[in-house]
Amino acid sequence: MSTSDRPLIQLTNVHKTFNTAAGQYNALKGINLTFSQGEFTSIMGKSGSGKSTLLNMVTGIDHPTSGVVRIGDEELHRMNESQMAVWRGRNLGIVFQFFQLLPTLTILENTLLPMDYGNIYPPAEREPRALELLRMLDLSDMADKLPAALSGGQQQIAAIARSLANDPPILVADEPTGNLDSRTAERVLDIFNQLALQGKTILIVTHDSSLARRSTRRVLICDGELVNEHIAHALPSLSHVQLLKLTKLMTPRRYETGVTVARQGALDAGLFVLTGGRVDILRQGEAKSLSLITTLLPGQYFSNLELLETELCDLTFRVTSDGPVDILCLPLAQFDQWLVENPSAENALRRSAAERSGFYCPQPRARPQEPRVAPFLATSYQDPLQQEG
Amino acid sequence: MRSFQFTRSLWRPRWHKVTADLWGNKVRSFLVISSIAVGLFAVGLITSMYVLNGEDMEAGYSSVNPASIQVFTSLYEEDVLTHIRHVEGVRQVQGEYIFSLRVRRSGGEWKPIDIHAIPSIEQMDINRVHLEKGVWPPRDKEIVVDSYKLPELPVGVGGLLELELPSSRTRSLRLVGAINDQTIGSTGGGGFFLAPAQGYITLETLDWLELPNNQMNVIFVTVDRSPNDYAYLREVGNRVSDAVEQSGVTVYSTAIRAANDHPNRVYVDAISAVLFVLGFLVMFLSGFLITNTLSALLNQQVHQIGVMKTIGGRRGQIMGIYMVQIFIFGLLAFSIAMPLSSQVSYSLLGYFSQAVNTQQQGFRVVPVSVVLQLVVALIVPQVAAFIPILHGTRISAVEAMSGYSQSNPPNPKGWINQRLHDVRGLSRPLLLSLRNTFRRRGRLFLTLFTLTLGGAIFIGTFNVERSLSSYIERIGRYFMADVNLTFKQYYRIEEIESAIKEIPGVRQVEGWTAASGELMLPDGSVGETTRLLAPPSQSELVSPILLEGRWLGPADADSNVITVNERFRETYPNLKPGDIIQVKIAGRERDLQVVGFFRLAGKSSGYLAYGTYEYLSRVIHQPNRANTFRVRSEQPRLNLQEQQAMGRQIETHLEALGYQLADVEAGESLTATTADGLNILTIFLLIMALLIAVVGSIGLMGTMSLNVMERTREIGILRAIGASDRAVMELVLVEGALIGLMSWVFGVLLAFPISSLMSNAINLALFGAAADFTFTPTGVFLWLGVVSVLSVLASVGPARNATRLTIREVLAYE
Repeated sequence: MSTSDRPLIQLTNVHKTFNTAAGQYNALKGINLTFSQGEFTSIMGKSGSGKSTLLNMVTGIDHPTSGVVRIGDEELHRMNESQMAVWRGRNLGIVFQFFQLLPTLTILENTLLPMDYGNIYPPAEREPRALELLRMLDLSDMADKLPAALSGGQQQIAAIARSLANDPPILVADEPTGNLDSRTAERVLDIFNQLALQGKTILIVTHDSSLARRSTRRVLICDGELVNEHIAHALPSLSHVQLLKLTKLMTPRRYETGVTVARQGALDAGLFVLTGGRVDILRQGEAKSLSLITTLLPGQYFSNLELLETELCDLTFRVTSDGPVDILCLPLAQFDQWLVENPSAENALRRSAAERSGFYCPQPRARPQEPRVAPFLATSYQDPLQQEG
Repeated sequence: MRSFQFTRSLWRPRWHKVTADLWGNKVRSFLVISSIAVGLFAVGLITSMYVLNGEDMEAGYSSVNPASIQVFTSLYEEDVLTHIRHVEGVRQVQGEYIFSLRVRRSGGEWKPIDIHAIPSIEQMDINRVHLEKGVWPPRDKEIVVDSYKLPELPVGVGGLLELELPSSRTRSLRLVGAINDQTIGSTGGGGFFLAPAQGYITLETLDWLELPNNQMNVIFVTVDRSPNDYAYLREVGNRVSDAVEQSGVTVYSTAIRAANDHPNRVYVDAISAVLFVLGFLVMFLSGFLITNTLSALLNQQVHQIGVMKTIGGRRGQIMGIYMVQIFIFGLLAFSIAMPLSSQVSYSLLGYFSQAVNTQQQGFRVVPVSVVLQLVVALIVPQVAAFIPILHGTRISAVEAMSGYSQSNPPNPKGWINQRLHDVRGLSRPLLLSLRNTFRRRGRLFLTLFTLTLGGAIFIGTFNVERSLSSYIERIGRYFMADVNLTFKQYYRIEEIESAIKEIPGVRQVEGWTAASGELMLPDGSVGETTRLLAPPSQSELVSPILLEGRWLGPADADSNVITVNERFRETYPNLKPGDIIQVKIAGRERDLQVVGFFRLAGKSSGYLAYGTYEYLSRVIHQPNRANTFRVRSEQPRLNLQEQQAMGRQIETHLEALGYQLADVEAGESLTATTADGLNILTIFLLIMALLIAVVGSIGLMGTMSLNVMERTREIGILRAIGASDRAVMELVLVEGALIGLMSWVFGVLLAFPISSLMSNAINLALFGAAADFTFTPTGVFLWLGVVSVLSVLASVGPARNATRLTIREVLAYE
């Protein structure tokens, strides 16, 4: 595996089309995605969204119809199935929802098996290493037991031990906690966190919002396309389809230091989502001076609806002094049109705007002494997958 | 209408699933259908052959209206036959003039031919023949021969056949046809295979052959009732003999034969005996093959069964789906196997009927075979599938939905698991193969049992074949001379011996004598015609295969002792060594003491006895003279060509000296002719072994392939954790090889009782005695090769598919 500055995993314009009895089905539509070393990423999406297909692209279990998947220095499509299996055994650890330990081998033997296939460690070192892995995961007592003698949680931890056998830089897990009780799931997540801290790159496909919250990055996929991570983070109350639509509609803009992005009465866009830098929200006081209400960070948004709700407060949105800001913008006319087409989104945004207006313009008007952190902004992120019920 | 719609909506998806399952996984369906079909084929083939074999022989033989009584007499004229027609119990009478000439054979040498001169040949009632080639009946100066010996003649139909007359002049007859005469060998003696070529002419042709054309010497008689009752036949036979003698004609010998007793019945019976044992075993084999195949198939369906159950399918409904699916599998397999087995059994029997001189009846389907195949096709699969279906309907909803089953985990405390757990020093992949092999004990048992049985039958068949072949080699001990000479008349032994010894390379000459005799029964009636052979008492040219008692020795030189063959035992089961029998030789009844029983080529070889030359030559009034001589070369172990060359040299030399030879036969050739019937059986056994190998192979391939298909998910996991193509292949192949190897070991062990069973069956039919047990490594190692190669072949394809397809399934593809 390369140690260059390049992302560890890079998907470039990846398409995947399945020919089914019902016709062609585009599971992935031009995915561009990178993962860096040490990232703990959860890939989320509804059933059929393409998340497992995406994971299969990364693991080389499936090949893209077009596009390139590069892991380290390897372009996966250049390898045949057998080479791929060997490469996978050495570079990827895979954890399955249903553990998939081989029932006729003991836990220790299950852990040793990838080492036998990978042939990275000399035979004499394999057993001590496997025992060390099991000890690290508190399973050394179970080493000589068959999987059937273990609980589901213990089996999943054994499966994690197996996935770490060849010390792969990348760990991939498909619904790893889907078949576990919440306590065991927590234990599994702790292990993933520790591994990420140790520099492992971890990708998990999950429906589990708690697991998603524990990851350092969340990738949302809908209908085979990626939802912009900042939009997904900023507008959690929207459906995946609405988020995807916004991803397609919004265009990036850059504002330099000190530039006013928007002001009450002078707004050229309807929706703004920060993707980089910071924006101060300022309110004009009685002496025409501007006072700082709060600062917006990447993954947060403001919209025309808030300005309408706070018409009397005369808010100004200005780039902070510490650098330029990158913003995704939806022009006003398009924003209005989008709201008409998505009444549920409009309702959600209006509710949010009403809530925010109380923060921006508290009655009676009083100038805040210090910038405050808007509680709904700081904790506004809600797992979009909670919508799935 | 409402009811119709309800039915449609309820039934359609279910039955669609049945057809979709059949069509959706074509490879699997092919494997299942071919495994069932091959089992059915084996059952159908063997039962059809068993039934047709017996039917063809009996129906074919009785259709020629064989003579129940054959009386060999001095020359008589037509009026004697009129007299015989009035004898009580006689239905039909026919006379023939049968005599021996010599015919020039393909190699140029002269060989005996029995000529049947038949009056009113176009109206033959008894011993009818079946025309196979050319025309029948022959006209003046024409001859028709039996088709079995046709290949040995220098000309085909249409050519001129050269015959040597008693006067040593030669005459040619046009060969106009070849017929099948099922009665050849029916008079005893050497039986069908030792009988010379047979020629059929009209009485008019006798003039051309310098013989009187108004006389006959054989009377064929059929009886008015009970043609299969030997006691009655003997009774009528005695009356006929008496009547013949009352007419002033001398009776030389009488032969009695039931209308259902084909001269080669013993070989047909032996084939039937083997078929019976094989049929029984193949029924088991096929049952297990089907059980194994379907349990493998349904184990793959357990998940689907569980899912259907969780969405409300009742056990009865689900079982119905699979029972219909299995019914369709069975029906498809039956529709392939039934016509195929009928056709192949007919073709195979065609070959055998030609070889054993029976007349094959028309193609027909054997109802018993069809019913058996239907039962095996439709009932066995349902029984076999019952347990897997039941298991599937008991699966929990969680297991069904997840596809993850803990319901049948290996029992870590089980004896085998403990032993497998204790295995150390093997790599994990090898350990995995080893433990996987024993993972599903039930399936392993079924697979092993199927393969073991297939292997045991294969090895057993080979053992029986080998035992028969080695027996054929032992028959050579009766024909240890390199050249056997038969003269047209008796010559002084010393004279011939010195004449032959003039030829360089001759080591030993023995003068033998021979005679025909009739067994006299306790009630005074005439029994079987017996051939008596008499080598010198100190002869070194016979090394018999004794069944009981002892052989003849120098001490017996002048005594009336004989040893008799297995045919005597068959007819007279109470006969023991030490018993005295009465035999009418040269018109006088003699008391002969039986001192031993020997075994020759089976019960069909006729009644044969060995006495001492010293005694018999006196009885026939030819002391110190002989008409047959056995010559041995100085050079040991001559091959057939060398023996024939030596024979030609002796023949030329003796003829130059004026001696009249009837026949010169190489020792090897006599052995081969004697063993012809047994050779047919060995070929039959080899074909059966081949068939069993094919059945076993297809079964093995199906079983192994289904086993690997079942491992799909596991193979996917192995691929996911780094197993290369080679590693996956090794895993599957080692497992396949292990199963193959285990089945081989068990097969070798099971082959002992099966060989013994088959050997005894065939030997009882052939010789009336149990077999000496022979175990040859040939079948054992051939089967090892077959099992090894097939285990690999059967595993490679599915393993390759598994390596390509299954990781997606493992990761629960969307």
